[in-house]
Amino acid sequence: MAGRARRITAAYLLLSPALVLMLGVLAYPVGWEVWISVTNFSSRGPGDRAFVGLLNYRAMLHDSEFWRGLVTTVAYLGVTTLAKLALGVPMALLLARPSRWRALVFLAVFLPWAFPGGITVIAWYWMLNPPLVTSYAVALGTLKHAVDVAAGGGAYAFLSVVAFNVWRGSSFTAVFLLAGLNAIPTELFEYARLESSSVWQRFREVTLPLLRPYMALAVFLSFTSAFADLANVWMLTGGRIVFPVLGTQAYWLGIRGGQFAEAAARSLSMVPVLVVALALLFRWFDRREDTVDAAAPTASGRSLGHRAAA
Amino acid sequence: MRRRTRAAGHALALALAALYSVFPIYFITVQSLKSPQEDVFGSPLWVRHPTFENYQELFAGGEARVRGYVIVPRVPFLGWVANSTIVLAFSVVLTLGAAVPAAYALGRLRPPGWRWWRRALFATYVVPHTILFIPLYQVVIALGLDDSHAALILIYATMALPFCIWILSAYYGHLPREIEESAFVEGATPLVAFLRVVLPMSRHVLVAAGLFTIGTVGQDFMFASIFLLDPGQQTVAAGLGVMDVSLEELVTVAGVNLAAIPVVLLCAVFARGYVRGLTAAMVEGA
Amino acid sequence: MNLQVRDKEFVVLVGPSGCGKTTTLRMVAGLEEITSGEITIGDRVVNDLPPKDRDIAMVFQNYALYPHMTVYDNMAFGLKMRKFPKPEIQKRVQDAAEILGIHELLRRKPRQLSGGQRQRVAVGRAIVRHPKVFLFDEPLSNLDAKLRVQMRVELKRLHDRLETTAIYVTHDQVEAMTLGDRVVVMKDGWIQQVGEPLELYGRPANKFVAGFIGSPAMNFADVTIGEANGAMWAENPGMRIKIPAAQADQLRRYKGQAVAFGIRPEDLHVATGADAQDNVIDAVVDVVEPLGSEILLDVKVGPTVMVARVEPTVRVKVHEPMRLGLDPERFHFFDNKTEAAI
Repeated sequence: MAGRARRITAAYLLLSPALVLMLGVLAYPVGWEVWISVTNFSSRGPGDRAFVGLLNYRAMLHDSEFWRGLVTTVAYLGVTTLAKLALGVPMALLLARPSRWRALVFLAVFLPWAFPGGITVIAWYWMLNPPLVTSYAVALGTLKHAVDVAAGGGAYAFLSVVAFNVWRGSSFTAVFLLAGLNAIPTELFEYARLESSSVWQRFREVTLPLLRPYMALAVFLSFTSAFADLANVWMLTGGRIVFPVLGTQAYWLGIRGGQFAEAAARSLSMVPVLVVALALLFRWFDRREDTVDAAAPTASGRSLGHRAAA
Repeated sequence: MRRRTRAAGHALALALAALYSVFPIYFITVQSLKSPQEDVFGSPLWVRHPTFENYQELFAGGEARVRGYVIVPRVPFLGWVANSTIVLAFSVVLTLGAAVPAAYALGRLRPPGWRWWRRALFATYVVPHTILFIPLYQVVIALGLDDSHAALILIYATMALPFCIWILSAYYGHLPREIEESAFVEGATPLVAFLRVVLPMSRHVLVAAGLFTIGTVGQDFMFASIFLLDPGQQTVAAGLGVMDVSLEELVTVAGVNLAAIPVVLLCAVFARGYVRGLTAAMVEGA
Repeated sequence: MNLQVRDKEFVVLVGPSGCGKTTTLRMVAGLEEITSGEITIGDRVVNDLPPKDRDIAMVFQNYALYPHMTVYDNMAFGLKMRKFPKPEIQKRVQDAAEILGIHELLRRKPRQLSGGQRQRVAVGRAIVRHPKVFLFDEPLSNLDAKLRVQMRVELKRLHDRLETTAIYVTHDQVEAMTLGDRVVVMKDGWIQQVGEPLELYGRPANKFVAGFIGSPAMNFADVTIGEANGAMWAENPGMRIKIPAAQADQLRRYKGQAVAFGIRPEDLHVATGADAQDNVIDAVVDVVEPLGSEILLDVKVGPTVMVARVEPTVRVKVHEPMRLGLDPERFHFFDNKTEAAI
């Protein structure tokens, strides 16, 4: 089977630039972060770093702040994700229906995502946290005060990140799911129309399950954007957001306090949650893939017609 | 009658979706067109006497000077835009350049464990970025890339690559084998068949991957502001963000809008291709 | 498997799905690896030649047209790959388009074409190259029935005109019979029989070929061979027929044993006085299928179900008994173990 060996060699050769890039950039930092989290590395402590085992993690688990942070973080991810789906799914369904204004509305829905997030968040932040001299500053200032009093300091700034993330994320989700809807054969929806006359029932029994794999992927990508937006605002405000999320805590410990080891442990504590999410994602999204080896002789008899439209 | 109600409901829903999506941008744009006086005394929802003062300020360049009560720092806006363009362009090229062969390998040549390679690459998204910039900075220094665009380009590429590889390999994996085989029979080598047949066929997926990369690059503010300290090297995000403390906020907003326009136009032009590309990759469950 | 295809011959590989016919074709094309054995084109052993150097052209089942290229570019692709001069490419594509009647479509994209038009483009792409061998992999199976018949005729005409060797794979025995100079019947990777269409039809080498070639398929009945009154007889609970002298000798050694008896639907007819009583069977009509030019009768003969193809003027009623005459020259017998014809 010389052909097979050649094919595999070629595959790894083609794969290598991407792997070198990923490993070259990420291997050391990730390794560093993991290693640091099991040492006592701190800018305040003695010069030498010593291995301390799981001490940082144990300390973390006994810290009530950490648990608050974990709950808030999971809530942040949950709320933003649900909101993105709650807004994105209807918009996708709306855009999938033929209409005269569809093209225009599609562009409008695409706009929030097209607006570069890293700088839009700056504008967004200034709009929601205006300096004293604008026309609506008093109104927003009052709101901010009320929110901060009700939910603790930093809540308003935090909520403005939530709003921004949802706004931009729902745009991404809507367009992404629109693509997903287009990928589902229309016969499936047409058949459902024969079977049930209830719109809601059709949505729940047919549309939602068919969309689920794409929703899973959109949700996962939304997590990464949720973290990125938070990080952006910390950077932007120089850490003015003090709301207890794990990221803030890690940032606070590491940059402000110089306790890098604890910071690393805290920021890694999110990984198990994300790994579970990832496992679910693969179950939903990566499952339907045919396992047939590309070299196995399976003549595909499908017409090229609809594939070619791509 | 019922049909009419439904059509009206549909139109209303469309209008709401558009309004929801556009309003924040409308809002900041309105503010950015205001003079300092109107900013204080006008309505927040519209502008009576639009002025491009804030936009012009971005190009005033030169020295820091006093404007009203505020000291306006030097704003090398054009330089930022140039830097952003460079970073964006090279990030897209590098990402697609690495993603296309990798995706072809995973989707088409399918070495043993291809599925796990794909998953492993995707799993890098769980790496928390919060304090990752500390070791990343060490890597950047070790590579001699401090204050260089290359550092950002490399980081952005690693952020966009997994998704791009995922969708491209899904597309290549589902492409009928006969497409390439017929090219072989017609006299093409594997490389020629790929370049002349497979690659052009996947152009919409390439567009989707490219726009996703642009979105990823555009989303970052953190790395740009950490790794680019030399004002001559800063991108729009780094520049505006660092300046914000001292810069009048309306000028900042104007800068955001101005920098966003080309990206938005680019996205608008390729929006349909983006959806078609994603669809093409998703057909049969990607 | 060992198969020799003569120059300018149109050979059809036919068999049920999974019989290895497509794999065989793909090996000839160089798309499938050969573990042992040899493939030669002309005098050249091509085992290790990549497809592009084999001087073949192939038409795929799904046509494999390039969606991003116009019809012209699709057809010119192979010539461009071989660095033909531009005027020559133009001429050849024009000629091929003319032959196939697609010259107004040259500037369209494949997705703007109907199934039949795509099929023509796929054929056109193959003929512009003037290859040594054409390979067809079920090229008609994605077309509707009417178009399939039409394209079948055109392919035949095209082959007469181009006089190029062609290997054609199909699972449709009608296509095989009508197109092939010779037909190769395959099953489970083995060649069952090679021969001209009428030879396969008239003298199938085994039960599989007999049942596969012909539509409606040949009727089979389990019978026991016996000898009485100086003649050989084939009998089962529903029928008793006399074996003609020409076949009696071969069947003598099966005396007392069970064999498969086969007879084609058109070799059954409504019995008349002219039929010898030894070649008439009693049947009960089960289903009547009037096709216009003929009537198909599904009948029960004892434990066996048979199909008879009779004149359109015949009038029978369902569930009523009737008598069928058998053409004694057209009996087939097959060994139950080896399935080979006796």
